[in-house]
Amino acid sequence: MRGQPTGEQLLETARGLLRDELLPALPADKRHAALMIANAMAIAGRQLKNGEAHDREELAALAALLPLPPTSAGEDDPSLRTRLVAANRALCAMLRDGQADHGAMRERVLDHLRSVTRRAVEESNPKYLASKPARVNR
Amino acid sequence: MSAVPMPHALRGALERFVAQRSRARHVRIADAVRLSGGAIQENWRVQAEFDGGELDGEQSLVIRTDSPSGVSMSHTRAREFALLQAAFEAGVTVPQVLWLCEDRDIIGRSFFVMRCIAGTAAAHVLTRDAAWGGDRAQLCERLGSELAHIHSIRPPRKDLGFLPACNESPAMDAVRRLRAALDRHHMPHPALEWGLRWLERHAPARGAIVLCHGDYRTGNYMVDEHGLSGILDWEFAGWGDPLQDIGWFCAKCWRFGANSNEAGGIGQRLDFYRGYERISGSPIQDSRVHYWEVMAHVSWAVIAIQQAERHLRGEESSLLLALTGHIVPELEYEVLAMTEGV
Repeated sequence: MRGQPTGEQLLETARGLLRDELLPALPADKRHAALMIANAMAIAGRQLKNGEAHDREELAALAALLPLPPTSAGEDDPSLRTRLVAANRALCAMLRDGQADHGAMRERVLDHLRSVTRRAVEESNPKYLASKPARVNR
Repeated sequence: MSAVPMPHALRGALERFVAQRSRARHVRIADAVRLSGGAIQENWRVQAEFDGGELDGEQSLVIRTDSPSGVSMSHTRAREFALLQAAFEAGVTVPQVLWLCEDRDIIGRSFFVMRCIAGTAAAHVLTRDAAWGGDRAQLCERLGSELAHIHSIRPPRKDLGFLPACNESPAMDAVRRLRAALDRHHMPHPALEWGLRWLERHAPARGAIVLCHGDYRTGNYMVDEHGLSGILDWEFAGWGDPLQDIGWFCAKCWRFGANSNEAGGIGQRLDFYRGYERISGSPIQDSRVHYWEVMAHVSWAVIAIQQAERHLRGEESSLLLALTGHIVPELEYEVLAMTEGV
């Protein structure tokens, strides 16, 4: 068992130091680089916190949505990522083929995509979810 | 910008070339600053003193050079020169191009000389600091008019013969190109596939084909404190649907967080439309712009995936490129929000 602080906690502390002590002392032309580093650390921290939970949920949701392709021969225990890529490829093929254009399938696929995408935004840029829609007067 | 001195041989060759083309008795490059923008391509801003000839006196010029021979894309500068010249003649505010030199014996690569324009193009400055660009309603209107001038350039054009012909529907062309790009990638992107299916089902028929700038957005034009000084970045120009540029300019992903300023994050959509319509003479069908705003998000997402991939493959290790990959989820989120209703 790993000791503490965890990687996630280390990132958070390091990011605080960068933001509170280094950033104000940097010349203007280096501020953007420091902000990018802080952003990268925040994304990495959120991903560490979530671990594989989102990927597992996504695979389960895909299994309920469409027949999953058999995993390639020779792989006794394909990784979660390999299975997820194969399942999402199948979903892409289904979408391109027009099988989710109408009806109940359309709604189920759209719900699935919305929830998966929302969780990805929560990791990459959670502030975005508070932004206004693309058109105010529509 | 960096303080790299201009090599002596380059300076001498340029002085002789410009003197000959401008019929000056003598030209002296008093100051030269290397501009940022690529390791292969060299751009210089020079202060040149002309003794006699067409440009007698002190001139501020920019030298844009091609990649050295042996590197692909060898005609980039000649094409850019032709596009800038066509735009200038159509009444678009662009830096005036002066001379193209395709003779590699002069400085070892092809290059062209243009006038220098002043100001800033930085999108994060423009969308946050109202001191730049003058009155914003006027700037939006002006940017609309400029775009209509660009769109007045129609095929066939001998001088732009290098641009691929557009024989099909520009919308379906784009859908096919974007699907092919996703198919080449090692990870599937179902939300973008959803968007592409929507773009396929709602694709407008082929209409008027015009010269599209291809990257007409805040960040790619320069302003000073009074207003527009020039339209930049012509490398994605091509024949297409005029609404493509309008959708690109207004798309939420190019407002740099200033979301209520629907025209490029700097002003109101209606001002931009009005300026366009004043020159084009026909109203913009706003309901059809939505389609191209969806297209803008899907296209930018595919480009962002490709940029992150350049970092991942080690072609160009860069935190900026790496973080560009993390823009993809919010673009996908927007694509779903824009297409769920229909």
